[in-house]
Amino acid sequence: MAVLACSTVDQDRRAQWLRGVLDLCVLGLLARGDSYGYELAQSLQSAGLGTIQGGTLYPVLLRLQRSGLVTVYWREGGGGPARKYYTISAAGLAVLGEAAGQWAAFAGGVGAIIQERTAR
Amino acid sequence: MNQTMTIAEMTLRETVRRRGVLVLLLVLPLAFYLGRRGDHLGQSIRFVCLGLAWVLSAAALFVGSSARSLEPRLRLSGYRTHQLFLGRLLALWTLGLLLSAPYFLLIRFDQHNVRYGAIAVIMLLGVLVAPLLGLALSALLPRDLEGMLVLMTVVGLQMILDPAGNAARLLPFWFSREIGTYAIDHTSVGYFDRGLLHAAVTALLLLVLVAVAFGVRLRRRPHVKIVGGLS
Amino acid sequence: MRHEIWLAALTDELRRHGVGPDLAAHVVAEAAGHLRDSGEPPLRAFGPPSAYAAAVADSVGGPALSTRSSVGPVRLRAVDISKRYGRRTVLSGVSLTVHAGQVAAVVGANGSGKSTFLRICAGLVGADGGHVELHGTVGYCPQAGGTADFLLAEEHFALIGAGRGVPRSAAAREGARRAAALDWVPGDAQARHLSGGTRQKLNLVLAGLGDPEVLLLDEPYQGFDRGTYLDFWHEVWRWRDAGRAVVVVTHLLNQLDRVDIVLDLSAGGAGVAA
Repeated sequence: MAVLACSTVDQDRRAQWLRGVLDLCVLGLLARGDSYGYELAQSLQSAGLGTIQGGTLYPVLLRLQRSGLVTVYWREGGGGPARKYYTISAAGLAVLGEAAGQWAAFAGGVGAIIQERTAR
Repeated sequence: MNQTMTIAEMTLRETVRRRGVLVLLLVLPLAFYLGRRGDHLGQSIRFVCLGLAWVLSAAALFVGSSARSLEPRLRLSGYRTHQLFLGRLLALWTLGLLLSAPYFLLIRFDQHNVRYGAIAVIMLLGVLVAPLLGLALSALLPRDLEGMLVLMTVVGLQMILDPAGNAARLLPFWFSREIGTYAIDHTSVGYFDRGLLHAAVTALLLLVLVAVAFGVRLRRRPHVKIVGGLS
Repeated sequence: MRHEIWLAALTDELRRHGVGPDLAAHVVAEAAGHLRDSGEPPLRAFGPPSAYAAAVADSVGGPALSTRSSVGPVRLRAVDISKRYGRRTVLSGVSLTVHAGQVAAVVGANGSGKSTFLRICAGLVGADGGHVELHGTVGYCPQAGGTADFLLAEEHFALIGAGRGVPRSAAAREGARRAAALDWVPGDAQARHLSGGTRQKLNLVLAGLGDPEVLLLDEPYQGFDRGTYLDFWHEVWRWRDAGRAVVVVTHLLNQLDRVDIVLDLSAGGAGVAA
């Protein structure tokens, strides 16, 4: 049902929201287990964030890699060429933990303001 | 030497690709010749020689003007100033010879009772002097429009002024009419000698003018000192 | 657009944006894998190759600048240059020293005398004061002009090459090589039939022909598309790595952090290189 709600939200606003949280969401997914690019995109989509294009996702992954929040390794695929897998690092976990708290407070505040209006 | 020849070669290549210039070079003298062919003997010869000289000067003018933007770069690439204008002159002289040959043959077979040797001399001297005039004008005047106007004035005066008068001697192609009189009207050899002298002096003066104009324009500025490179 | 074509274009664009070859290979392989898994068309998944390559380059922080601890000997030394046109002072007391293996950028507003300063350094224009020392041969690329309308590109190479004492075949080869670095294949067209940007590529190639020690470039990128503009700066850095001294007049500031010296002429025509 969250997926249905996506289609009614303004695309520009959604893109703005994503810009702020995409790296944290990726870290969140990687905290549950190693993954590769396409799998992450699919997980983000089924979580209700809409379609994340490769052109958006991979630069984010590169930035995370560059700032040391994730590390990478290549794993041979079953029937195809090697895939680049991402692992969250200790620094990444720390950032994720801190951000989770901040986000809860932030989203809570925004939700409260917005809900008050619709309650009228 | 190789550098001068390269300049000459490239000038020739450039010029034969300029359709407008080629048409001018080939057609105008013919028009001059045919236009006067009905007149009394020898007028067509006089006019075709003058026409040849004029179109060659115009070609030289265009060559000189269009080369201007390239010359600073050529200097920096290592060419000496004299190689630049000598190369262009070589190309234009070659072009002039190639252009004059068929007209000489035309006169040889179409006109009779004239001194062919002297006519050949007129054409050779014209080939010599015309590019010098055109190149000098391109070096002195910034745009080819002004140069063309001067050329047209010169040729116009050349046709109007009485060759016997003194003012006419100041014109660069006066020798053409003077020797022409010797060749066509079978006068004394004095006309030939005077014409030859005039051509020689004019050629020398124009060459000096070209050398000085080029030298000044492309001179190595005094504030720059090249160490260990080409001068 | 088929995968292979898009991926090949991506490889090119990554190189142009200065992404190192190892990382570029990984990025391309990862993109190929993503396209295989998702089955999406490349333009939808990633966008145009140049845009994606730019995003990658941004995330990675651009090419690593090789720090040079030692520079070579002085190649250009301009001391206290001043120039007046009538009553208007265009330059006063401008100095610049460039060593081998350095890139200097001359910046300033329009009319601040950048082109004039470069022409004075090349010796094409007289200076009213000061002097210039040039150690070695000089290549100069003007903002426009500098080519012969009716000659072919290869004939230009031969012409400039002959001045520098380079045989014709070698000059043709060198010209073709330098042109390829700017993504241009010289054909049989006369210079007057080339587009403005292509003609400027010819101009730039001619400036570098014969491998001069000093290169003076006056905003030579007029008419370049974005890709060629990046190629141009790669050429500049290649020249620097090869020990040449390069002076570029430019008003585009975003490449300034990749140059060694900045000469700012906007402050009333006076400036000393930082």
